Amino acid sequence: MITRPMIAAVLVATAAVASAAAGPLQVTSSILVEARAAAADGTTRIALVKPSKVTPGDKVIFVVSYRNTGTQPLGNVVLDNPLPRQVAYRSANPGSPAPDVSVDGKTFGSLETLRVRSLDGSTRAASPNDVTSVRWRLASPLAAGSQGQFAFQAVLK
Amino acid sequence: MHAKGVIRTLMAGTAAVVAIGIATGTASAQAQAPGPAGTAAGTTVTNTAQASYSVNGVQQSATSNAVNFVVDRKVNLTVTANQPANTPVSIGQTAAVTTFKVTNNTNGTQDFLLSPTQLPIQNLFAGDNFDVENIKIFVDSNGNGTYDAGVDTATYINELGADQSAIVFIVADIPNNQANVLAGVTLIVQVAAGGDAAAQGLPLAVSVGANNDTVVDVVFADNDSDGLGLDVALNGQGRASLGYEITTRNVALTVAKSQLVLTDPINLAIAPKAIPGAVVQYCLIVNNGTVGTPASNVTLSDVIPANTTYVANSISIGALALGQTCLLTGIVGGVPLADDGTITVPVLNFTGSYNANTKTVNATIPTLLGGTSVAATFRVTIN
Repeated sequence: MITRPMIAAVLVATAAVASAAAGPLQVTSSILVEARAAAADGTTRIALVKPSKVTPGDKVIFVVSYRNTGTQPLGNVVLDNPLPRQVAYRSANPGSPAPDVSVDGKTFGSLETLRVRSLDGSTRAASPNDVTSVRWRLASPLAAGSQGQFAFQAVLK
Repeated sequence: MHAKGVIRTLMAGTAAVVAIGIATGTASAQAQAPGPAGTAAGTTVTNTAQASYSVNGVQQSATSNAVNFVVDRKVNLTVTANQPANTPVSIGQTAAVTTFKVTNNTNGTQDFLLSPTQLPIQNLFAGDNFDVENIKIFVDSNGNGTYDAGVDTATYINELGADQSAIVFIVADIPNNQANVLAGVTLIVQVAAGGDAAAQGLPLAVSVGANNDTVVDVVFADNDSDGLGLDVALNGQGRASLGYEITTRNVALTVAKSQLVLTDPINLAIAPKAIPGAVVQYCLIVNNGTVGTPASNVTLSDVIPANTTYVANSISIGALALGQTCLLTGIVGGVPLADDGTITVPVLNFTGSYNANTKTVNATIPTLLGGTSVAATFRVTIN
């Protein structure tokens, strides 16, 4: 049953898409690669830097940053990153919560719960290479002025 | 509160069976999966993130910036011999061919420059004692894996795609020197720039310095292809080696035939004449004029002349020293052979027989060393 608030929600959602830059939730995407350097204490430091020489087989890190630039808290925040088709998902970046993943763009869950159907009708467990999209949900509303980020690792095919 | 029509429900705890493939349209796009060399150099990889949220109960969306990077060129190649063993050749042979295969493992189309070297490769071709001459290199143009003179004329590999292979021939002459045993040759392949089908590309060099990520950098990923000190890893080069092996040697074999009248019924052994009843000795001397190269399985055969009768068991065979000829008494050190071929000379293994049906004297010399002679004699009586 369609109610008036529902219609308003759809209209507002459409308007929000058209002027995404103006909304209170600012989302920034960045791509980084690991740079290893030997530290003075003998350990290896891993820094994340902008990509320079990226070739097939290299590890690439995708970072999704978000910030509430408005004055109201934002609820039900869901961040969705469809994978570019030239990369294959590997894992969450260390320090980032793990995303829910999807192998069809519609159903999200943890990788071990997902299965893939082959053209001949048989199914098999999904593997990281099958992931097409990753998604994070914020468990509680995002307060005004708050921010955060999620990140995942992938490999250039 | 969910906007109607947008399914965002997590099926928590339930395994979800989904179909992938072209039918769904939203599934993982494998239709254009790159080959083993990977995503093509120059490809721009773009990422955009989406978000949805609600403020005051109103659903909203947001889209991130589009961030991208350019895939760089990862240079690699494989060079292998394309034949199972060395090429067998004879002394003085021209246009002898060794065949190689070059595979482009780079994530882009490249030219490949070809050059030969005959630097000896430590322990790889033991016995390498000569160099081939007049070396030319050609690329197989019709895919038949065989060198076709006048057809395969390209001297470098032009515009070879990622994960593709080409066949290359080294064509060379074998010098006319009896001491030649084995020559090793190495094909050096250098990765060069592709993109111009009409011109030979320049050899690739590694990109250095700070990267403007809209530029396609060059990264070398090749290994040390020979492990023997001539090639090194990460130089954009690959090598493979093969040998030309002398297996057939032509020798200068000659046969000289002479005869001696031994006796006649009238004069006996004193100045005998070739009259009916006379005994005549025929001598066949075979000589290997190629010093240093033995001839194998030399066979002599001679038909008894007309109007003569073979003297049974009169074949004799023996080695001759330089300048020796057959004597009245036969060959010095010669061994008499039985007509039925049952006698073999010890050590040298000479054999011989007489075929009464074809009236043919046969002799076999298994090995005739270079510069030596062997003689066979037999007797007939004049009818």
